[in-house]
Amino acid sequence: MRCITCVTEKEVLYGKRVLLWLQRILVLYFSLPLSLMLRSLQIGLQSMQVHQQPCHIVYTDYRPTPLQHYFFPSGGNGLYLVVDEKGKFRENSFQKALNALVPPGEGDKKRENGKWQKGLFVGKAGEDSDIFKMVKMIIQRQYDPVICFSFSKRECEFLAMQMAKMDLNNEDEKVNIETIFWSAMDMLSEDDKKLPQVSNMLPLLKRGIGVHHSGLLPILKEVIEILFQEGLIKCLFATETFSIGLNMPAKTVVFTNVRKFDGDKFRWISSGEYIQMSGRAGRRGIDERGICILMVDEKLEPSTAKLMVKGSADSLNSAFHLSYNMLLNQIRSEDGDPVNLLRNSFYQFQVDRAIPDLVKQAKSLEEERDSIILEEEDSLENYYSLLQQFKSLKKDVRDIVLSPKYCLPFLQPGRLVSIQLIKVDDNLPSFSVKDDVTLGVIINFERIKGLSEDDTNKKPEDASYTVDILTRCAVHKDEAGKRTISIVPLKDPGEPAVVSLPISQIDSLSSVRLVIPKDLLPVEARENTLKKVSEVLSRFAKDGLPQLDPEDDMKVQSSSYRKAVRRIEALENLFEKHEIAKSPLIEQKLKLLHTKKQLTAKIKSIKRTMRSSTALAFKDELKARKRVLRRLGYVTSDDVVELKGKVACEISSADELTLTELMFNGVLKDIKVEEMVSLLSCFVWQEKLQDAQKPRDELELLFTQLQDTARRVAKVQLECKVQIDVENFVSSFRPDIMEAVFAWAKGSKFYEIMEITQVFEGSLIRAIRRLEEVLQQLIQAAKSIGETELEAKFEDAVIKIKRDIVFAASLYL
Amino acid sequence: MRGVQLSLSKTQKLRLETALEKLESLSSTTSNNSNASVIVADTIPINYEDGVLKGHGTSEMDGRVVATICGVVERVNKLVYVRALRARYKPEIGDIIVGRVIEVAPKRWRLEINFSQDAVLMLSSMNLPDGIQRRRTALDELNMRSIFEENDIVCAEVRGFQHDGSLYLQARSQKYRKLDRGQLLRISPYLVKRRKQHFHHLDQYGVDLILGCNGFIWVGEHVEAKDDMVVDQMIKSEQENASLSGSVSSREQEQSHTSVEIRQHICRIANAVRVLSTLGFMVTVELITELVDLSISHNLDIHEMLGAEFYVIVAEKEAERRSLATKKR
Repeated sequence: MRCITCVTEKEVLYGKRVLLWLQRILVLYFSLPLSLMLRSLQIGLQSMQVHQQPCHIVYTDYRPTPLQHYFFPSGGNGLYLVVDEKGKFRENSFQKALNALVPPGEGDKKRENGKWQKGLFVGKAGEDSDIFKMVKMIIQRQYDPVICFSFSKRECEFLAMQMAKMDLNNEDEKVNIETIFWSAMDMLSEDDKKLPQVSNMLPLLKRGIGVHHSGLLPILKEVIEILFQEGLIKCLFATETFSIGLNMPAKTVVFTNVRKFDGDKFRWISSGEYIQMSGRAGRRGIDERGICILMVDEKLEPSTAKLMVKGSADSLNSAFHLSYNMLLNQIRSEDGDPVNLLRNSFYQFQVDRAIPDLVKQAKSLEEERDSIILEEEDSLENYYSLLQQFKSLKKDVRDIVLSPKYCLPFLQPGRLVSIQLIKVDDNLPSFSVKDDVTLGVIINFERIKGLSEDDTNKKPEDASYTVDILTRCAVHKDEAGKRTISIVPLKDPGEPAVVSLPISQIDSLSSVRLVIPKDLLPVEARENTLKKVSEVLSRFAKDGLPQLDPEDDMKVQSSSYRKAVRRIEALENLFEKHEIAKSPLIEQKLKLLHTKKQLTAKIKSIKRTMRSSTALAFKDELKARKRVLRRLGYVTSDDVVELKGKVACEISSADELTLTELMFNGVLKDIKVEEMVSLLSCFVWQEKLQDAQKPRDELELLFTQLQDTARRVAKVQLECKVQIDVENFVSSFRPDIMEAVFAWAKGSKFYEIMEITQVFEGSLIRAIRRLEEVLQQLIQAAKSIGETELEAKFEDAVIKIKRDIVFAASLYL
Repeated sequence: MRGVQLSLSKTQKLRLETALEKLESLSSTTSNNSNASVIVADTIPINYEDGVLKGHGTSEMDGRVVATICGVVERVNKLVYVRALRARYKPEIGDIIVGRVIEVAPKRWRLEINFSQDAVLMLSSMNLPDGIQRRRTALDELNMRSIFEENDIVCAEVRGFQHDGSLYLQARSQKYRKLDRGQLLRISPYLVKRRKQHFHHLDQYGVDLILGCNGFIWVGEHVEAKDDMVVDQMIKSEQENASLSGSVSSREQEQSHTSVEIRQHICRIANAVRVLSTLGFMVTVELITELVDLSISHNLDIHEMLGAEFYVIVAEKEAERRSLATKKR
């Protein structure tokens, strides 16, 4: 990296790797001509700004092999071309595809509990599963090789198992596969060759079916990659990882899912992910076009589909964050200034670029505001504020009166109530003193059932209620068949319907009650009731509908109520006296004033964001983190790195603060090497395992020590105003593989430790490899504090874990 | 103060002694007992704690932790180590050092930096004069002497240790360069405290001061750190100009000439460092500039700064300053 004149970077900016590359580009603080092959032009611009060097950007949307996108509705029988190779979206075949979707039967209710992907596998009894049908079809149409992407390792394996009946290879190929497979496995020891993963894989591979995900042994993964490249695997089940970083295209790509679990929910695949994965379809120079099949198992809007299939690449957002290790290394060197690093970061760059836009926005808004000219603005404003006050007071009163405590006894069926009309389309509030109300008849009321069980313990007064009210409604039906109901005044056309409304939407209760027919199902009955309502209304036309008097009828005894009522009266007086109230066009004028006020508020908020972004984006965090380092004694008050800081400098592959604290507290000193290795495994294991068994007592004890240390570190961070969730931080250290790593350090065979835990082989191997990395860093750290015994211990640990299959050399080397 | 040979008059002797006594009493009150000083083979009490980490300068003997060097015991959590007094320089990553080239070897220079070994500066870990990033060729290797020769003074940064314990330096910045037109002073490394800044440009004197962590201190004429590319172009254009007018020599002379004024400043600052180091005071920029100002205010000539009287004044001043500081606390 140091001796190059020109750096060429391929589109490496994907996912977590972005961070790494960005740092590298930043740290290249020399003047280099850069050529970057990027998805995003922004990065190029930033590099230019940082290095003040020309930057050649190769940017293309062109695909040498065009793609065809098909939909495969679950339970259906055929493919539907949705986007052809010219990039045209075919609306009608999209609709056809959706119509072919077999509606989910009553049997698989599971789909609704978030486990809906099960539906994909279940199929109908006696029939082949969808994926089987699909692969069969693909092979018949000679669309192979095919990659089937799914989003979890287990699902991947499961799908491959469904292919058991299929045989895609002839005898020659089978022999070939076997030779390649065993020559690769040769480097494993006899015991490791007996691992179930290894022995189960071969029969599958021989039939031309492969599985590729991060849980595989690295060596198996590589064998499968090689076999796939040789064309010996016709159908590969892979996870998303296969689409990134490997150049292994196929003719066809199948998405077994349109949703992906991203940590907290199932969401649609983003267009960027779609591009990355569908990009594997179509081998250049071999296939005329790539085929991309999406297995759809639920309805989706055409717009969602379009966005997913035809959208552009995800915009690149900086995931840059500060780490203590980075900070310490910057402080340590004389040149290093963390502030400088931040200033040049891509995140900052993105923020900076947004500023001119904001300025423009603010300006146009200001212009708009100034163009609104009002006569007699002062008095109008006065009136406006009075109105606001009046409204809020009214609301207060209503809240008091309509609190369930008072109004529940009066919500009998048949009572006439006036309901506030909520206008859906424009959110401009009305400016007349009177509210827009309509009448309705109470049918029933019920308590809203909360999600928690606590509800039953609550007093009836505290729970919230909805009221079913019969009133005149306008009912719209949109294409999707969803009905939207809006309440309209009695006189307007519309059908009578019963709607449930929250209590807060009721304006007032009248003292009139109607006799309502028992059966409201027929429309006529409801129509008649409404007619009665209008009759009542005309009868009381002279002096309005008699209202329930809050104090006399409803027994509202509250001083705040009385106070509010008095103030309303006073305000009403003021309104009458107000000269401007009599002027015509008052409504329009008030509306104008309102828009003006809103614009002012908007301008204010834009200016605030502008101010905060001109300040360094990470400045506060930087300050807080430095405070943490000082508090824990890693650096002195004048930014000189202390002994502890030097140790933390060496550790970059694990949580540096916790590990350093652990070391300085002597925890690592007195325990056995195996125990130490097993303790350190908590730092590198990140996957969550549901029902992992607890480690044995000695290890458990060590783990609690680790948790205590972690908690202390997290608390210090919190006190120093670093945003951190203490318990979350503590539970980020997982004890799941402690036993397995302990056994491994003891010298157990790999198949033995695989029996101890349920984790995937590949994940465990990756963890142990990372563990070795951490140990190497710890050796350096021990050297820097001059603790020779500890250093020897770490070295011993490295020797103990670095053996056999875990550190088997890559086939590519 | 040990081993200082000063011809003091009687009154000066008395004044110096009182000042030093005062300093001593101040330091004994401020230092607390946990920082007990030890000599070789002293047992360091560890209060029967387990999991004690034994750092530098300690060893275990019959279950006791024993000091292997003379110094002060320091503790960080459970780590116990001995900080040596007046030892050779012990490098740490990120230190700024000043060293003297003692050998030009294949692809590397060897530097004497007051460490137990010579430091190595690889050709590949420094910027080439033309400022271009490229692979080092054999030609570059042949031209190494055009960058640094034997006996050149160089400043660089400690980059790291090899597995065999040898020390590697790096000089990838404009400010790490060959030092000329100035003085090199060698003082005990313990007098230089690690700080954020070791390069100082004393604006009022036009002098650069580099406090190497290894106890080598450079005082020299200020050189503007320039971007290599820009310098290149400037030199080129200058050469073009020069070839037109034919006055190369005068220009070069002007460039290599240091004015008398600056020379005097350099000497004054160097003498200030000498005074501080003989008195055993920490050498920091603040103290140095203070001393220079003091000498000017006392109307002392440069050579008089090394006279007995100035030593006494400095010692008294320091004693006064420290007592004020402790009182404030």
